[in-house]
Amino acid sequence: MELQYGDFDIVGENYLAEKINVTKKTSFLKSLQEKPYISMGVLLIIIMGCAFSGVTMNHQPTYMDLRNINAAPNRTFYFGTDSLGRDIFSMIWYGGRISLFIGILATVISTSIAVVYGSISGVASELIDDMMMRFTEIALSIPSILIIIFIQAMIGQSNPLSISIVIGITSWMNISKIVRSEVRQIRNSEYILAAKCAGGKFFYILKRHLLPNFISAIMFMVVMNIGSAIATESTLSFLGIGLPIEIISWGSMLSLAEKALLSNYWWIILIPGVFLVVTLFCITNIGDYVRKKNNKEFSNL
Amino acid sequence: MNDVIYLGKKVIQFVLVIVLLSIIVFYMSRLSPGDPLMSYYGDGVERMNTAQKLEAMDKLGLNAPIYKQYIDWLANAAHGEYGISYKYKQDVTVVIGDVYKNTIILGGLAYTLNFLLALLLGIFCTLHEDQTIDKIICKVGVVTSCIPSFWVSLLLILIFSINLGILPSSGAYALGQSNNLTSRIGHLVLPLTVLVLSHLWYYTYMIRNKLVEEIRQDYVLLCKVKGLNKKQIVYKHCLRNIMPSYITIMAISVPHILGGTYVVEKVFSYPGLGSLCFESAKYHDYNMLLVLCLITGILVVFVNMLAQVINDKIDPRMKHDRSEIDWNCNTATSI
Repeated sequence: MELQYGDFDIVGENYLAEKINVTKKTSFLKSLQEKPYISMGVLLIIIMGCAFSGVTMNHQPTYMDLRNINAAPNRTFYFGTDSLGRDIFSMIWYGGRISLFIGILATVISTSIAVVYGSISGVASELIDDMMMRFTEIALSIPSILIIIFIQAMIGQSNPLSISIVIGITSWMNISKIVRSEVRQIRNSEYILAAKCAGGKFFYILKRHLLPNFISAIMFMVVMNIGSAIATESTLSFLGIGLPIEIISWGSMLSLAEKALLSNYWWIILIPGVFLVVTLFCITNIGDYVRKKNNKEFSNL
Repeated sequence: MNDVIYLGKKVIQFVLVIVLLSIIVFYMSRLSPGDPLMSYYGDGVERMNTAQKLEAMDKLGLNAPIYKQYIDWLANAAHGEYGISYKYKQDVTVVIGDVYKNTIILGGLAYTLNFLLALLLGIFCTLHEDQTIDKIICKVGVVTSCIPSFWVSLLLILIFSINLGILPSSGAYALGQSNNLTSRIGHLVLPLTVLVLSHLWYYTYMIRNKLVEEIRQDYVLLCKVKGLNKKQIVYKHCLRNIMPSYITIMAISVPHILGGTYVVEKVFSYPGLGSLCFESAKYHDYNMLLVLCLITGILVVFVNMLAQVINDKIDPRMKHDRSEIDWNCNTATSI
């Protein structure tokens, strides 16, 4: 018997015709779980609103309207006014600039210190490395709020710049530990040796070879640091050792809260705080996403 | 014999760290601007002439070079004299002696509660990993950990003290009722709630992460094949294995919770070391600040070493592997 064409099914013969058009359909909800689009969007709105505060404000934030002290939220004052008669809606956008600025500047300072310190410690000899790490441990052993109080007491009256420096120099230790352990793993690699032999200086090697290697490991901590710097600033200002009331930031707005508490003016406390918390939450979410991108394993349980 | 050497090493390490810490803090406190005379004599300083000022400086020991001042201070400290608080015009130890118990009560309770709840929640989340309930807890946890503790305090005061009027908003006890237990407990509820709310998630998260990592080990598969159920595996095997990490987390969280306690104390005007800290920072009361820093530092270093010793005892692998200890309590995550 002869075999003929058509006796057999040729698997996948006309695959082109049968091909079902499967575009990988990821539902909207699923993609939300993967990337923090909502957080990014909200954060973007807040940042934009603060950056272009001239457009978003509808009152002069520093103007003290003595006829409208402690006004509840109404049509002219969307979020009410505080006990100095300033419009809270405008203050939030205006003050957000300083809060965000402090968050970013403090993080830049702490990250640069951490990267340089950690890299030096990573490439140094055992003894120096050990000493440098012991120092970070000592520095970590005092609650950072205590160090900040101490330095603040030394500086006296503070401004946004000084407060970001203070926060910056008290929050680099954690990052530097990671930088150091990452550098320690790669410091004997051939390419670094080669760069050294070719006459590369420390900072050149740091920028060119070390930094790209550990940047992903510290990235999420850097993001988180922005959030904690903003939170620290607001805590300090609230407690009266940070920014004075005249310099508007989310923290110094809340420092009027104690008076507002007694008379139950909830909007003075609630509204700036909600902005602060939403911002912090968005930053944390983004930081978490950065971290999660790196590790995912399956359970044996 | 080995134990003695081991312990001796730890003690020497401890003393060295403390001495270093005291030197740093002492120098910082003496080099800082601000007029201690002003805080000691108040407005009286303006009426003094130069000779009187010098005499007063002499009396407070502010004229000698700093290293000499440090040695003097150290010698006095050995007798238990830590100097005079410029603000309260009393011995620092007396002022601290009045209030330190309040901080221990608040901080200690917060610490215990946090870690009990964190362990329970961590186990619960691990058992239900990636299920809806776990996801909900994680989201709520992240939200609570984002909220600055002073703001939670404000909200709670607003709700429970001002509007509902059921809980007091400040102090450690009602006026003149320092021995009244109910009054004390009533005053503890809000600060404790704040401390637990704002710290719990950090530790739950770290414990959950450790456990989640642990259940990916091979031995868990073996246990499962042998027929143990989930709970048995986690309670009998995994928990034991993460104990060293748990203890390390407990140790590194001491400065964290202590710092939180200080802030909360200040917000609730709870008389304790924290309120004292902020007061002395405001009035340039460096003798006080110095002692407070030292107390905190000593406590933290001691706890860290204790944790190391315990870990070395229960898990001999740790002895050679100190770099494993991670210190990232400030950023809510372990890597």
